[in-house]
Amino acid sequence: MASRVDVAVIGAGPAGLAAAVAARERGAERVVIIERAEQLGGLLPQCIHNGFGLLYFKRDMTGPEYEKAFIDMARSRGVEAMLEAMVIDLDAERGITAVSRRHGYMKIKPGSVVLAMGCRERARGALGIPGTRPAGVMTAGTCQRFVNIEGYMPGSRYVILGSGDIGMIMARRLTLEGAKVEAVVEIMPWPGGLIRNEVQCLHDFGIPLLLEHTVTFIHGEERVEGVTVAKVDAERRPVPGSDRFLPCDCLLLSAGLIPENELSCRAGVEIDPVTGGPVVDQNRQTSVPGVFAGGNVVQVHDLVDWVSWEAEAAGRSAAAYADKGRLKRADGVRVLPGKNIRYVVPQFISGKDDVTLHMRVTRPGLKATVKVGGVMWKRYRTVRPSEMVILEVKGQALREAGVKGELAVDCEIRGGD
Amino acid sequence: MSPRETVICIGCPLGCRVTAVTDRKGTVTALKGAECKQGQKHVLEELRNPVRTLTATVRTGDESFPLLPVRTSRPVLKVMLRPIMRETAKVKVKPPVKAGDIVIANVLKTGADLVATADWPAPGEGV
Repeated sequence: MASRVDVAVIGAGPAGLAAAVAARERGAERVVIIERAEQLGGLLPQCIHNGFGLLYFKRDMTGPEYEKAFIDMARSRGVEAMLEAMVIDLDAERGITAVSRRHGYMKIKPGSVVLAMGCRERARGALGIPGTRPAGVMTAGTCQRFVNIEGYMPGSRYVILGSGDIGMIMARRLTLEGAKVEAVVEIMPWPGGLIRNEVQCLHDFGIPLLLEHTVTFIHGEERVEGVTVAKVDAERRPVPGSDRFLPCDCLLLSAGLIPENELSCRAGVEIDPVTGGPVVDQNRQTSVPGVFAGGNVVQVHDLVDWVSWEAEAAGRSAAAYADKGRLKRADGVRVLPGKNIRYVVPQFISGKDDVTLHMRVTRPGLKATVKVGGVMWKRYRTVRPSEMVILEVKGQALREAGVKGELAVDCEIRGGD
Repeated sequence: MSPRETVICIGCPLGCRVTAVTDRKGTVTALKGAECKQGQKHVLEELRNPVRTLTATVRTGDESFPLLPVRTSRPVLKVMLRPIMRETAKVKVKPPVKAGDIVIANVLKTGADLVATADWPAPGEGV
């Protein structure tokens, strides 16, 4: 990598691909994606189900089809990719250290960096489920890779802990492949994934969804033989006497996704403790100049379409930074999550320009009104923690309101669940 | 058919719970709970003949790329999902395959083709 790299993108999932394409379109000469896997696309190749691209392409696509659309764009725009290359360090001056079998040890100093490392699944160790440590306990995404890419069925009788989208999609996939899914167990009073997945993956196949339940014990020596499932109280603690045994040979975990920010932390990027991702301004610039971020590394999105759009913004900004060697921060106003709002991204906005706010509510509700300070409000017939609330705010409205310093976003919920 | 049936509309994130009242012949006489006209249409369709897009994989026989992802080219009747799954187990594809190539034409006379959703071999380094 002797020659100059304008924009280096870390990760070739949907965010990395979209960021790279956008950076090229914004005029960056040399855009290189560094990817640790042997192929492009991140997790998309194993997401063989449909439901992708409905917003971005106005078409119902599968994961591989969505991936191919972006790979084709990347190819036609002259994006370069280094596969099986692992970034092991990123410093505060955008210095990248990477290793690959083919290129050896590499030092790259690009004009700007886009963080697009995505997220990973919460594993058993982070959930603290008591019991033995037999084979057959894995995340839903690991199982998805076994079944959809490698062609293995890891078990024949499943319990799925957590009703995230991947878990529900795997419930359907495994059922269609001939397995029995005993139940999807969800600790919260509402499902963790999209409604369409609850209907098409669980209801369609008569798979029970046990809300306000959790797995309290894993049984089996060599192999999982079953799990104990119990009801939980309002504090999410198991209710004594409510436990029962569910036989199974596999326990899948679909209990949340965690943005992957080890590299961001090495570079000294400020992390939002709520999102688990970098604090970004309106241009998706992090606290480290010239380092941008987009996609699930910033916040766990509900739909890939939003990942692509967010990463494009990061890619465009990265191209602008690489060109001028600087990009003015769009951080005049700090956006604060208020009532019933868990987080808002971006955390900083210019306060002058049009901006799209992405946020998550803390609880589901009907007849909700999201208020952006005294600037504007918007009504939503329904809000759910599993779905991002997207709100476009006009720069003119921000200027007219004379917003300075901080801007709180609140959600008033008038109806129940 | 039961005189009342509840369907969750998945036309939008609202997820209306729509209750359909049917007469003895099974004709829907009233719909309650749908917030919009499109939702009513969706629910009627869901009661009359529910359809789904099926996605699955077929074997390739290749060690490093053992499965090719496939989908139905259009939604098929829900009752056809399992029968089509059995068909996917019977076929084996040979490279090269392009996304969109037909793997099984008019699968089980549903009017839908089973088509590949990925290129095989997959694109390599250099993009």
